[in-house]
Order: sequence, then C-alpha cells, then structure tokens
Amino acid sequence: MEFQILRKLRTYFHLGLFGVSALLSITACEKEIDINLPPSKEEIVVEASINQLVSTLNYVIISKTVDYFKPDLSLNSVSGAKVYITEGKITGTDTSFNIADRQAFIDLFDTLAPGVYINPFFQGKIEKPYLLEIELEDGRKISGKTIIPKPLKLDSTSFWFEQNGKDTNAYIYLDWFDGPEQNNYRFALLNNYDSIFTGWGIADRFYTFDDERINNQKRPFVLLNPFKYGDTVHYFMAEIGRKEFLFWDSFRNAANNGGPFSTPVAVKSNISGAIGSFTGYGITYKKFILR
Amino acid sequence: MLRIYFLLLFFVTFLNQAFAQTFSIAGYVKDSATGETLIGAAIRIPETSIGTVTNTYGYFSLSLPNATKKVLISYIGYRSKLVSITEIKNQQLKIALSPLNLEVKEVVINADRQDKNVKSNEMSKIELSGEKIKSLPVIFGEPDVLKAITLLPGIKSGGEASTGFYVRGGGPDQNLILMDEAVVYNPSHLFGFLSVFNSDAVKNIEIIKGGIPANYGGRLSSILNVNMREGNNTQYKYSGGIGLISTRLSAEGPIEKEKSSFLVSARRTYIDILAKPFLPEEIKGNSYYFYDMNLKMNFILGDKDRIFVSGYFGRDILDYQSEVNRNVKFNFGWGNSTGTLRWNHVFSPKLFVNTSAIFNRYELFNDFDFGIGGFKLRSGLQDWNLKSDFTWFAHPKHLVKFGFNYTFHTFQPGILSGNVGTADISDEINKQFAHEGAIYFSDEWQVNHRITLNYGLRAVAFNLVGPYKQEIFDNDNQLPSGVSKEYASGESIAFYPRLEPRFSGTFVINDASSVKASFTQTYQFLHLATTSGAQFPFDLWVPSSSLIKPQLAYQYALGYFRNFQQNMYESSVELYYKPMYNQIEFRPGANLFFNQNLEGEMIFGEGLSYGAEFFVRKKAGRLNGWVGYTWSRTTRQFDELNAGQAFFYRYDRTHDLSLLLSYQFNKKWSGNFVFVYGTGNATTLPDARYAYRFGVDPNTGEPKYVFVDKYDKINSFRLPAYHRMDISATYIVKQTNKFESSWNFSIYNVYNRANPYFIYFLPDIEKNEVKAYMVYLFPIVPSIQWNFRF
Repeated sequence: MEFQILRKLRTYFHLGLFGVSALLSITACEKEIDINLPPSKEEIVVEASINQLVSTLNYVIISKTVDYFKPDLSLNSVSGAKVYITEGKITGTDTSFNIADRQAFIDLFDTLAPGVYINPFFQGKIEKPYLLEIELEDGRKISGKTIIPKPLKLDSTSFWFEQNGKDTNAYIYLDWFDGPEQNNYRFALLNNYDSIFTGWGIADRFYTFDDERINNQKRPFVLLNPFKYGDTVHYFMAEIGRKEFLFWDSFRNAANNGGPFSTPVAVKSNISGAIGSFTGYGITYKKFILR
Repeated sequence: MLRIYFLLLFFVTFLNQAFAQTFSIAGYVKDSATGETLIGAAIRIPETSIGTVTNTYGYFSLSLPNATKKVLISYIGYRSKLVSITEIKNQQLKIALSPLNLEVKEVVINADRQDKNVKSNEMSKIELSGEKIKSLPVIFGEPDVLKAITLLPGIKSGGEASTGFYVRGGGPDQNLILMDEAVVYNPSHLFGFLSVFNSDAVKNIEIIKGGIPANYGGRLSSILNVNMREGNNTQYKYSGGIGLISTRLSAEGPIEKEKSSFLVSARRTYIDILAKPFLPEEIKGNSYYFYDMNLKMNFILGDKDRIFVSGYFGRDILDYQSEVNRNVKFNFGWGNSTGTLRWNHVFSPKLFVNTSAIFNRYELFNDFDFGIGGFKLRSGLQDWNLKSDFTWFAHPKHLVKFGFNYTFHTFQPGILSGNVGTADISDEINKQFAHEGAIYFSDEWQVNHRITLNYGLRAVAFNLVGPYKQEIFDNDNQLPSGVSKEYASGESIAFYPRLEPRFSGTFVINDASSVKASFTQTYQFLHLATTSGAQFPFDLWVPSSSLIKPQLAYQYALGYFRNFQQNMYESSVELYYKPMYNQIEFRPGANLFFNQNLEGEMIFGEGLSYGAEFFVRKKAGRLNGWVGYTWSRTTRQFDELNAGQAFFYRYDRTHDLSLLLSYQFNKKWSGNFVFVYGTGNATTLPDARYAYRFGVDPNTGEPKYVFVDKYDKINSFRLPAYHRMDISATYIVKQTNKFESSWNFSIYNVYNRANPYFIYFLPDIEKNEVKAYMVYLFPIVPSIQWNFRF
C-alpha cells in the first residue's frame, strides 16, 4: 500500500464504521425505487493514452455521455472522427508542433470496437510533447496536450512469503529514488495474466499518487494485498504529467463516489472541448513470478 | 481588558448608588429536596403583571412598589410559595420550592400559569427540561438532547444518523453549542447517532434561534445552551439507566451539607459487545465504543459568592484489525474535553456577575499500522476563554446586561508522523492562532405597560496571528508555488473588527396577546470544513483569514403571540427573513483531508432563508405537548456552482411538522406520542454517465470499463418526504424519597416508514439497466430502558 492511505483514510473511516454497521446490520434496509430525471445534455468523452513501451496502450477512445437511466450500458461510441497525434519539440519553455508530423489514428476495428482509434505504427518517445487533435463528423473540435515523462528507475525489488496457517501469502516491495522534481505516478497491476496489455482498463488494480510527502528521497512501495505462491504479477509503473495526474486523481474520486457521504465530483479534464484526458505514460515494466 | 472591566464596574457601582432608594428584593430560588437552583422560576406580585424570572444561575432581582405585601414564587412541577415582604425586605433571599409529587401534579394542573410567552421580550427561544428530554420516545433506549430539539419548529434534523441540526436555514456549524458555557465543537458520539450530552446530567436546555441577545455571539444561526445539573446538596443520591446500547450511572451529594455539592455522571456503550454476534466474520475482531464523563462541583461561599467547577471528558474509540492481513490495524478516536470554572458574585442585590474561565479541546487521533510501516495522525482545536457577564437590575424599567468575552484559539489541522520501511514521513499542516474578543451592552427597557424594547450592541473582533507560515499555492497544479510568507509570533495576519447591533421589541396588545419583532446582525469567524453536509469527526474547524472573510447574517423576525384559556395554551406565529453572506462551500471533489491548501478548495457565496413558524404548546395538565409547523425556503448562490444560479440548500425543507403529546394516565403510567413530517432533502443526482478506463480482454474480446457519473444541477432532486411516528410509555415501579425505579418502553417508527438515508445506483451490465436503491436506516425499532434512583 502507498501513501495514498492518507487520502483514503477518510474513505476507510467511512467504510470501516463497523460500530455503526453493527447497528445498521441489525436495522438498515434498502429498496428499489423509481427515479425520473429530465434528459441530460450530451457531452463528448475522450480517453487518449500514449506511451513509449507498449504499443497496445496507444489509443484514442471517443464516446458520448448517456442519460443516467438509459437502459444501455455499452460504450456510447463515436465513430467517423478525424484523430491526429503530433509529436512536438520543446525549446526552452515553449512547445511547438509541426503539422507535417501529424500521425492519424483511425478506427481500424470499427465493427469490433467502435470509437477506438489506433495507429499500430505510433511510437511514443520519452520527454517529448504531444498534441491531440480531434474533429468530429459534425465539425466539433477537441484538442489536448501531454508529455511522456521519463520513467522511474527501480533500485530494488523483492518479495517475501508469510505463513498464515491457511495458505502462503506473498508481499511485494519496490523502491526507487524519487528525485527533487515533482513526480506523479500511476501504477497498474495485473495478476496471473500473461497476454497482451490491451488497454489500461484490463488492469486489476490502480494506484495514483504523487510525491507530496516524500520528495527527493527513497520511495518505498509496498503491496499489502497478499498474493498466492506461484502467482505471476505484472507491474506497469508510469510517470505522468501533473495535469494528467489531477485528472486521474479526480477520476478515482469520481469512480469511487457513492454511499451516504458522497458528494458530486467532477473530473478535472486536461483537454478542451470534451470530458476526459490525454495522458502520456513513461512506463517501467516489471514481472514477478512468486516462487 | 482589565481596565475596561474596572471602568464598567465603577460605572455600575456609581449608578447603583443613584437608585439605592429603590425597594427591591433579590436572591436565589432552589429545589428544597436537592438544593439545585431553578432556572426560569417566576417571582411576581399576585394578581399583577409585575414580576421576573430567575436567570441561568437561579438568581433574580425585582423592584417592587412600596405597597407590596407579598410575592408569589412559582415553577412548573413545584408547589408555589407566597412570601411576605415584611419578612424578607432588604435580605438576600433563598427560596426553596418543594417538588410536587405525581398525584398533586395531576390535580394542580396549572400551577405555573405564566404569561411569559406573551409578555416577555424574548422570541424565537424555547426551553426544555432534562426530565422532559428523558421522557421522549427514543431509539435504542438512549435519550438525546439534540434529537429532542429537532422536534421544535424551525429546527431541522440532519437525519437519523446525524446530530447536526439546522436552524432557520443555517448550517450545523452555525449553531453555538454550549455545555456549561464551554463551546462544544463536535457534539456527536457514534458518528452522529447520539450527542455528547448525557441526559442524566442535563438540567435544562434553551435554544435561541432568532433575536439572539447581545450577550451571545460567534455563530450565525442559533445558540444552544445546555446547562448541567449541580448535584444534590442535601443527601447522597445514585441514579442511572440501562438501555439497549449503553448504561448511565450518576452519583451526587453534598460535599458540605447545603453549602456544596458534587455530581459525577458517566456512560459507556456496549454495542461492540452486543453487536459481535451479528457482525460478518471479516470484522468480528473489531471494536467500537464511546464513553463520557461529567463532573460538576458547586460551592456556596456565602450570600454573595458561588463557585462552580464543571468538566466533561468523552471519547469515541474505533479499533480495526484486518482479518485478511493481521498486520494491518488502525486505532481511531476523537473526543471533547472541557473544563469550566465559574464564579457568581452578587455585588449588590441589583448587580449580579458571572465570570467564567473555560478550557475546551477537541481532538482527533488516528494510528495506522501496516506491519512494515505506519502513521500517526493528530488534529484538534483548543480554546482558552475568559468571560464576564454582568446583569444589572438598574431600574424597575431597565434591565441592563454587559460584559466581555475573550477566547484564544489554537487550530491544529494535522500532524503526521510515521514511516514506510526505512523512509520516515513527517508532515504538519501549519498551526493557526487567533484572538477572538467581544464586548457587549444591552438594555431591556420597559417603556410602558405595553411596550418593551431591548436594544444592544456587541462589538466583536477577530485577529488571526502568527507565528504562521503562509504557503502560496499554484491552484491550477495544486502544488506549492515555492513562495511563502512568514508571520512572527503575535503578528496580525487578518484582523476583522465588526459591530453587531441587536434589537427586539414587544407590544402587548392585551393580557393574552402580543406582537414581537427582532433584528440581529451576527458574524462568524470559525467555519467547519465539510462537504458531506453532516458533521463528522474528521471535519476541521478553520479560522477566518485574509481569504476567508467572516460569515455574516442578518435576521429579521416578526411574531404574533397569543395565549388561550388563561395561559393554559401558548401559541405563536413567527415570520423570519435571513440573508447570509460569505457562506463557504468546497469545489466539487475537493480534498479536505490533510490539505495545506484547504483555502484553495473553498468557494464563497450567499445564502437566503425565509419562512413562517407556527407553534401551539400546552405546558401543563394530564395532556400536554406541542404542535409545530414550519414553511420555509432556503437557498445558496455561488458563482462557481450551478452556473451561478441559486440552488436549494441541502436541508431546505418546505414543510416541516412536529407533534408531541404527553399524557399522564395515572400515577404509574405516562405516555408520549411523536409524529414528524418533513419535505425530503434536496440532493444532487447524476444526470448522465459515461464509460471510461477502457480495456479489451484479448482472450474473450470482452470490453472492460467503469462508469463515471456526471452531475449537472445542484440539489435539484428531492428525496421522498420524511415522516415517522414514535410512541413511548413510562411505568413507574416505585417512587419514594429513597428509591425510584421506572421502565421506559419505546417504539420508534411505529408504522415502519422507509425514510431515505441515501440513494445509490447500480448499473447491471448483464441486464443492461441501471437501478436506483434507497437505503433506510431504521424500520420499526422497539426498545426498553430501565432507570433507577436511590
């Protein structure tokens, strides 16, 4: 577990109200109700991801919001858009993009996965800026910028086993030096999965955190959730930009929002013209076979 | 401050001499059995309207015409006493009233036919006795002060799982909650299910929701005064109660007979023990409980001096140990501690002063251990407070109050220390310090037999001072900009001097009816940082600063008061209009927890509340009780929210009805009936959703994503109405001077109404639909409690 524990304490606190749940388990009940809401204003949603390591993690997904109670739970995809990503240059504090460097992302498998735009030849580069440009069929334009930060360099990794009487639990420990600059991290973990990483969404678990409380020193990362002896664990450890971090941090709050203490949460988009993010990931990959 | 104090004292002593020839009587009224002073006992000339009532300390002073022969002293539930003036002239009176026993109470149905409702200059103020609170229907057999007051008009409950209350459209932090004059910053136990006030130790409460007099300040909406009992100064008594979730025990008695007394009262919950069999396996190893203790001592040093020492200490403790990983555990706790030293001094029969030195502290502690590392987190708020309140019975037509109040606040938003492996972590949200001071003056002027005016002015000042390091933040990136400003110890960071004029007036139409009006202007310098709308242990109090301006409210109230059947029934209609400024909200999704840049998450706007309150109360008789109905509207407006449009406040409640009936069947049995109805809370629901964080399982081709809710209009949806009926019955097994035993049976939510606690949504991808579920907390809940006293 990481220092996001701190941020999560409040959530723990609410979830762990077992004193109250003691009362509630005796008394609380629930029932299904009908709610009628007026139609919502439709908005475009963009999920754009690029990186320097895994080609299946370079994609742009375009969809639309749907009315809350609309009985359709598939991706409300948007096809037919023109999508370009341009690699730029950094000169001093300025970034510049040349239209000649545009690379088109196309909905290659439109019938299989509509709204997903890819370019199998795209190769992200570390510490390069990128510009995302989208033009929808109706002429609306969406744009955003990101950068692929330098990936972290792991200093040491280890795992150990604990006998708990029932089974053998394994814990994983990683550490690296954080550096004096602002670092923002997003880790994804896959357990017992040995296939192509087709989209961040297939990860089992995510960790989004920054160096707020441990800057410029050794950064330990411990996974408290135990794994079983023999598990294969894949770690995709990414450095991301600050704006991208703020998006994923707010996304985590928005996606985990619920219960009696929930408050409306809006994600902090880093693109204009739509909800969503354009995130450049500087990925470090590590695989552990726990035996 | 000391200079002002002596100057005022000199001024009053001088003027006192000027009126020295005025014939007056003064003294204390107390309970003959216990020696406890009686608050609000009436002293008046029989057959006339000349009279007064005792103050919070049981003291009164009354100017009388020279021809006066006798005065009548009365108090509800006590045998009235007619006292001859010749016996008592120019003496400090100590009048003891005997409590009526049950049989007599039934016959003397109206011993206290006061016309206070009509003739006093107070409006928007209601008092309840500790005994009354204990007799009301309760859930889990635990009487509760804060649950009881929400049965009054204009006071709304935050819900079944909240002790937060909302007065005339104000937030829960806009109520000044005082326990023996000490401010209680977090009045909740059990995450808001119960309040910190042990009903055994409560003497009476009063709530002032409008026309706040000049001697109170610091909050916008209301004053809740909880006065604790002093203890029996004639004999030792032990009492207690055993309910479904807790047990209460009290001991009281004389330290020196009739001169000093003590009261110790304590309670502890045992839901941790009782609930264990019902808990799921994975949380069986955990425990949660609270306890609290009240201590009070009272010393009568002579005719002129009394000293009170009172204290409170309470803690909620939550221990957690993960069943999955035994190394993961946390210990979480919070609680208040207060200490009050009060000195009542009678300078002369016409000049009474109470001086109090008060300490209070609210603290939160959290220890988190996960084997190879752990954290300790501490936060809190501490006050040192000194105040003096003078009551000067200056003239038969003028009752003057003046005084000062000074508080030194220390805010400790958070200290963190710990480690992960070899990496040490320590961090601290910078402490803040503030001086808050007030001086006030008010005069209740009885212009003639019809008109009484009360005008006053409270001058307040708040000074946020160093030492403090102000970090300047880049709000776009939510990072420190690297620039900071240091303030030296005592250096002013933000200074807010303000004036609060107060006015109220009464026009007595006839013996049975009057019209009253009031105006108050109040400022609030302390603000509760919360997004949930309820009050939780984690919520921090933050001071006004250069960015956070003091909250401001104006309140205009107009009321018509009418008594019927010789004051047997009291009724009133009050209209109020209350605009509020510099109201605080947080940006959607704000992080309030351990955030150095909490101010950066705040947004500021306005509020407005207006409404009409109708109240009918029958104070005595076999059947007594009240019915209250409020129509109101409360909105908030923030430029950054809801596209700048005003929106309903979460606890806006168009209709609010409460009915309480108490009936004394015979000397053994009595019963209570409660019905409440309130328009559902305004809430924000998502209007749309979208799929995000996409992935495709390459083996099956199945897409994976999560749904994220999107919100548009704020608080545009109404939860279903809240309504509920409760009944309770008390059976007195035995009641003698030596031993009392009674059973209280309650049924909460008699007709099993499913009142909304919250709504949640569940997308079902397999069935391709989204369903809404409403969670409700308490179905019909019977409970039983045994109370004893010996």
